[in-house]
Amino acid sequence: MNISKIIKELLLLLFSLVFLSPVYIMVVNSFKNRQELYENVMALPEQFSLQYYIDAMDKMNFLTALGNSLFITITSVIFIVALSSMTAWMLARTDNKLSKFIFMTFIATMLIPFQTLMMPLMQFMDTISSTLNIQMLNTRGGLIYMHIGFNAGMAVFLYHGFVRSTVPISLEEAATIDGCSKLGLFWKIVFPILKPITVTVIILNVIAIWNDFLLPSLTLTDTALRTIPLSTFYFFGEFTIQWNMAMAGLTLTVIPVVIFYVFAQKHIIKGIGEGAVK
Amino acid sequence: MANKMTKGWFALFTVPLLVIFVTVVIIPFLMGIYYSFFDWDGIGANPMVFVGLENYTQLFSDQRFLDSAWLTVKFTILALISVNILGITFALLVTSALRTVNAARAMLFMPNLIGGLILGYIWQFIFTDAFKIIGESTGFGGVFFNWLLDPDYALYALVFVFTWQMAGYMMIIYIAGIQGISNEIIEAAKIDGASYWQKLRKITLPLLMPSITISMFLTLSFAFKIYDVNLSLTGGGPINSTELFALHIYNEIFGYGNYGFGQAKAVIFFIVVAVVTLTQVYITKKREVEM
Amino acid sequence: MKFRKSILVLIAISFVLFLAACGGNDGENEEGTQGNNESSGQKITIFQSKVEISEQLEALAKEYEEETGVEVEVWGTTGDDYFQQLQIRLNSNQGPSIFSVRHITEAEKLASYLYDMSDEPFVEHIAPNMALEHDGKVVGVPYGVEGFGLVYNKDLVSPEDIADYDSFINTLEKFNGEDVAGLSLAQEAYFLIGHLSNYPFSLQEDNYEFIQRMNAGEVTMAETEEFQAFGQMMEDLRANIPNPLDITYDEQIGDFATGKTAMIHQGNWAYGMFEDYELDFEIGMAPLPLLDNDKLEVGVGSNWGINGTKDEEEVQAAADFLDWMHTSETGMRYLVEEFGFVPAFTNIETNDLDPLSQAVLDATNSGETIPWSHNYFPANVIVNDFVPATQNFFLSEDVTGEELIDSLDSAWQNATK
Repeated sequence: MNISKIIKELLLLLFSLVFLSPVYIMVVNSFKNRQELYENVMALPEQFSLQYYIDAMDKMNFLTALGNSLFITITSVIFIVALSSMTAWMLARTDNKLSKFIFMTFIATMLIPFQTLMMPLMQFMDTISSTLNIQMLNTRGGLIYMHIGFNAGMAVFLYHGFVRSTVPISLEEAATIDGCSKLGLFWKIVFPILKPITVTVIILNVIAIWNDFLLPSLTLTDTALRTIPLSTFYFFGEFTIQWNMAMAGLTLTVIPVVIFYVFAQKHIIKGIGEGAVK
Repeated sequence: MANKMTKGWFALFTVPLLVIFVTVVIIPFLMGIYYSFFDWDGIGANPMVFVGLENYTQLFSDQRFLDSAWLTVKFTILALISVNILGITFALLVTSALRTVNAARAMLFMPNLIGGLILGYIWQFIFTDAFKIIGESTGFGGVFFNWLLDPDYALYALVFVFTWQMAGYMMIIYIAGIQGISNEIIEAAKIDGASYWQKLRKITLPLLMPSITISMFLTLSFAFKIYDVNLSLTGGGPINSTELFALHIYNEIFGYGNYGFGQAKAVIFFIVVAVVTLTQVYITKKREVEM
Repeated sequence: MKFRKSILVLIAISFVLFLAACGGNDGENEEGTQGNNESSGQKITIFQSKVEISEQLEALAKEYEEETGVEVEVWGTTGDDYFQQLQIRLNSNQGPSIFSVRHITEAEKLASYLYDMSDEPFVEHIAPNMALEHDGKVVGVPYGVEGFGLVYNKDLVSPEDIADYDSFINTLEKFNGEDVAGLSLAQEAYFLIGHLSNYPFSLQEDNYEFIQRMNAGEVTMAETEEFQAFGQMMEDLRANIPNPLDITYDEQIGDFATGKTAMIHQGNWAYGMFEDYELDFEIGMAPLPLLDNDKLEVGVGSNWGINGTKDEEEVQAAADFLDWMHTSETGMRYLVEEFGFVPAFTNIETNDLDPLSQAVLDATNSGETIPWSHNYFPANVIVNDFVPATQNFFLSEDVTGEELIDSLDSAWQNATK
């Protein structure tokens, strides 16, 4: 029994390591110059000098970019969570044609490749900017707005399923009798029950928004507004890539999300604990 | 009166998101449909000629489009299977009582944190360099060669990388599902002397059905839209053998400059996929309620 | 209980943040309109495709701002998706004041946006035939000239070895089977077929006229002698060099720099790639002797164009900037030293060029060049159609050179129909 368990543990660990091999390639090559990389992509670097990291951070204007990325990601995700959970709950609890139609529209649009939307999107955003005089392009607010729109479908989809399968209607009915308004009912009773799926939605959206290149590159032109992935463009030339800088830039992009994920994971595990006690 | 109240609440809960959603996704999508009736090169100042349904009738004789659509279907099916089998396996492993689960869980999810084009380039190194080294040193040259040079294997390489990237993602969804299964049921089964496989087949998997539905749909939507990795890993090659749908449309719209024609392709393929998947989602949703 | 509280706090914060974001927008909005519409505090924006010079261009912009007070903002994107982004931005009225136009095919597409620079003072300094013209108007200023040919290791290959077609192929055959490869190509579209496919066009008496006739369907590649020779050359190459689909640009350069390949088909831009290597041999650039051709392929990689749809002041400010870049002390120094361009301007002096750029400049000065033809090709035909055809050719031995030419022909017809 014990031996088989140890073997299982080792297997799991080994597999995880193999799984991580591309990450290994990313990290080791952020320390190599072109010749070293050419000679052997897999080998450890001759020296672990942080020079490329310092250069990359300098070129990327890292702190500004980090600030922009943090602001855009956090704000977008808060809105996505708040708005999508409300919408999904309402759609799940109203059993009529309209709700079904809205829900189906949400999930159907998840199948549209962004590449087919981007040109009309930019045109329409420009129309909004010029007719309503709300600057949608080249502003953080506009980008956040678009992030919410594009990620809403999936969040609604996830919440909708969870509400149907786990939130007991009896609880909601009891609260209604107690005189809760719908808004109070949702935020006080329902939303806390949604916590596990909320954590999932947060994780998935943070990653998607943090790493996004195409949408911000279309909407933000001002140098001071660039997000982290955007500011790595310097390393991707017309014909060639400055590998060491690009890998260093990528590592720098990933580190904050890794920290975030480890933190969020604790919450998931805590969630399991709470469930067990209950 | 009560009805009015309900409508008010309904609006309060849904309208803010719907406004954003409609302006960001629906209107641009409708504009795209509008463009699909025109012959236009995609440059604002250049003439747009209304051609009616011509773009639509034309696309069924476009062999490259049909090939690409078929490839996308093939890719999606392979990806659906591999991503979800691996995702469930991971989720079962990391929710078991092993001591290494925390580390493993973080590591398995890590591929997801790396986004964008460069991922494809990193995998290019693996397929071209690492595979060659492994093949030469182990003698398994039949498996470990440069997959990207072979029109068949290049598609498998894409499935491989996609699976690597998405399995951890789906693992998260499955973990949430497994946590939802009450311990009592599992314990009861244990006391009854059920074997591991029996528990898995008779209890865990059926109770995981909602998660499986969700993951299947998510995988499908990601697989269908795959673009970054496609572009940077194979670029659609060799010989267009891996030109999946999003890349194909992109090439039509921006490469050939046939904006309307590209949009028409997008519309048709969207309708086909949407009908298939929505039916599937509709059916499973209905079943869930009955359960 | 605790959880609920923290959620309420989160919501409160989120609303404040959103309001802040919206507030910020208004501020930026006002700034933006000021910059665009009012005469004082002129601002121009540049969007261009050569990522490699982004940083240096930003530095130049800063110098210009210090000198003249005109703000120059340099936008950026990766080399891959420049043109699509430009297109989207122009369509949504977010276009830059100055942007790069790679060649006449793009210029034709964007004709209604391109400002006629014919009367601008710096245009007279452009070297003969190097300006980008459309309808008899100058619409683009060349970045610089670039050239490609056989880049060779002088220790392994001497000029006589590649002086004519027969000796070239003999040399490759000699290397075949040895440890050192004779020649290598790379898998990237332009290095695989894009640049090579220039030769049979450029060897025509008038390559532009020939392409016009091809577009009109009056002539095909298959029936033209230069293309038959080209097809034969591709077969000879396939028989004697490593499979280019297995070689990336990085590997091609690495193999050459470490002496594992004697020659590569590349241009002077590749020199920057050698920086990280210690070359222990001299390198040179020689013409690819298809049909005994003895001239380098020289042309313009990209051009600066001005967005004529902007208001008059912005257009003028953009023209002033280009003028300054090509005539002022600082601007000219940046072009040559910082950007590393081989200038296509008669008023700009150069010294200390790397050997490849020097070879290109020498050829240009002595007129020993043939013109680039791919600038006249139908848009993106290389990436979209030539590449799959060539991949097919290199992957299966039984595809003949003739069949390759046939598939290029049909790609062309498809693109111009």
